[in-house]
Amino acid sequence: MSLDERVSEDLRNRTAVDLHDIQATLLRHRPEPYFGTHVFLHINDPHGGREFLRRLAPHIASAADWWNAADAWIAVAITYSGLVALEVPEDSLRSFPEAFRVGMAARAEKLRDYGTNDPKNWHRPFGSGQIHIQVSIVSDTEDKWRRTMETARQQYQGFSGVGVLLIQDFGAQPGSLNSLGYKDGIGQPAIEGSGVEPLPGHGRPIKAGEFILGYPGEAGVPLAMPQPDVLGRNGTYVGLRKYQSRVGAFNRFLRENSQTDEERELLAAKLVGRWRSGAPLTLAPTKDDAALGEDPQRNNDFTYANDPQGRQAPLGCHMRRMNPRDTQMPVLTDVNIHRIIRRSTTYGAPYDPNAFSEHDDESARGIYFLFISAKAMNTLEFLQQEWINDGTFMNLGNERDPTVGLQEEGATFTIPKEPVRRRLHGIETFNVLRGGEYLFMPSLSALNWLAGLNAETVERPAYV
Amino acid sequence: MASQTQVKTRSAQSSDLEQKLQKLRELYADAPEMGKTALENLIRALKSGPPAKEPAARIESAGRIGRRQGKVSELTVIVRLAPGGAKRLRGFLETLHGTIGNELVDRVGTVHDMRFVFLENDTKLLFCTAYDGDWDVYIEDFATKIPDILDLQFGDTEGWPGIHSPKVKDFIASHQITADFWYVANPNLTVVETRRLERIGNATEEFLDKIS
Repeated sequence: MSLDERVSEDLRNRTAVDLHDIQATLLRHRPEPYFGTHVFLHINDPHGGREFLRRLAPHIASAADWWNAADAWIAVAITYSGLVALEVPEDSLRSFPEAFRVGMAARAEKLRDYGTNDPKNWHRPFGSGQIHIQVSIVSDTEDKWRRTMETARQQYQGFSGVGVLLIQDFGAQPGSLNSLGYKDGIGQPAIEGSGVEPLPGHGRPIKAGEFILGYPGEAGVPLAMPQPDVLGRNGTYVGLRKYQSRVGAFNRFLRENSQTDEERELLAAKLVGRWRSGAPLTLAPTKDDAALGEDPQRNNDFTYANDPQGRQAPLGCHMRRMNPRDTQMPVLTDVNIHRIIRRSTTYGAPYDPNAFSEHDDESARGIYFLFISAKAMNTLEFLQQEWINDGTFMNLGNERDPTVGLQEEGATFTIPKEPVRRRLHGIETFNVLRGGEYLFMPSLSALNWLAGLNAETVERPAYV
Repeated sequence: MASQTQVKTRSAQSSDLEQKLQKLRELYADAPEMGKTALENLIRALKSGPPAKEPAARIESAGRIGRRQGKVSELTVIVRLAPGGAKRLRGFLETLHGTIGNELVDRVGTVHDMRFVFLENDTKLLFCTAYDGDWDVYIEDFATKIPDILDLQFGDTEGWPGIHSPKVKDFIASHQITADFWYVANPNLTVVETRRLERIGNATEEFLDKIS
């Protein structure tokens, strides 16, 4: 059943969120295959920055009819320093949360971005305060990507108001696999009122206010929203994380801890909780099932009710950490308030199973991860502290997430097994953080508001 | 940054200590005789003993306010009570907290201990707790999972905005007092880890019983 078929007539009529005003990226799933580009811009002068937004705004896709969206689209998000550069009024700037205002690099301690992940090791321009605007182009075909990219380019190329800091193409990977060779982007939270029945296994729809500003969240009340309302409502936040995959280290770890190809692939599945095909261990515990991995109706349709000990999907595997579902956890947790929309965009050379050298660790390939939520900063900091760089919540002591965790000397990964668990020593940091930014993804009306700031013909809106 | 530790040579360390002890002696110059004697005794013991061990965990900040050692953090709050609040809260603590309340806090899994002390003729509440992790990461979870316990524990304090309010973190932080000194026996043991070790210990004893 296609997405379009899952839209019930009833839901179409009472869609609660204003799909025409929110940006498409919030709801549109990344296509497969996918092609795209992230463009990072610096605002040279306030007037020029606003003029750029005015030119770009008509090309930004809304989420209306997002379920039909096998198409190309443009999204835009702005950092705090970008809002300052646009001359957003002081009282409005102050209405943004502190973590967003100081930026991701300044929150390194909260995010546990230490050691090799420390912002001082990031690639420029990330963390420097230079990045003001991120424009992303996403498409399902190469041809549409090039045409849409050209549309975006025409808005900034040769325009003195903004300068290009970095252009990063992504996607176009064989089989749409990520930089460690897995199918990704499978588990996404379903959003209440967005007009689509959740896919089997995605759980009950989560209150829209967790992901879009201006709607009630899981606690029954809307989250604090930037002011004025026209700026905040229907917007959201993006936590961008640029990871470089250390493919050599990853392959060496697999090789050192397995005897045969079958064992190696099982170990690769145990780390993530899914086979490379996307088939979850909970439904395919002993061998891969490519058809299952392919099938969105089935590949996420499970609970952990029959696997409380993690003998199928280890308690510490990436998938179970990021969404523990019905796992009995020793720490009181509401699993529905730590969900986040994840848009993974893989860049660089495709995964190479024969890369083993330290040189291979440094080649440019990895993932630009977009974490989207109305409280992205809070959620990302929670995930980094509790679910990624600690094991307490799963009774795993100091163990960390095997794929995105920052591993310390002597780190382990435990695979529950009968009669005795298997503990692997010497797991390394397989994805190194190379950059990050917190961004605000404004609604379409907020974009127009921003573009019209300080224009003499426009009255400054009253604050509510 | 929290993970950085200062490395100093042993001689620099001992001259550091010497300076601090000198300052301490000056502070105690006008202390009662008993205090002065006790201080000199301790300094002598310190100097004749083996070199001081590195602390098991550094004392750092527990997020926004309060202290943390290893994985354990402390929170101390003094807050004014609404009229009649002490009576109600005492009643709730005696009647309900010992049963269902304790059970719910058990499930929280990060709380080592909690103390409620009524001060100044029941006009103020002193609340102290030791807990695992950062100050505020699980506040939202409490708000959706155990809102009633929190609203009963603090609903009678003046200005409590309600556990669902976005202002609740600011309210707590504004009444929080950071401890000047705090001792933690096992700074690297969380509540969850302690329970796990307890289970492993029991299983090991059982195993040894069976094979002996």
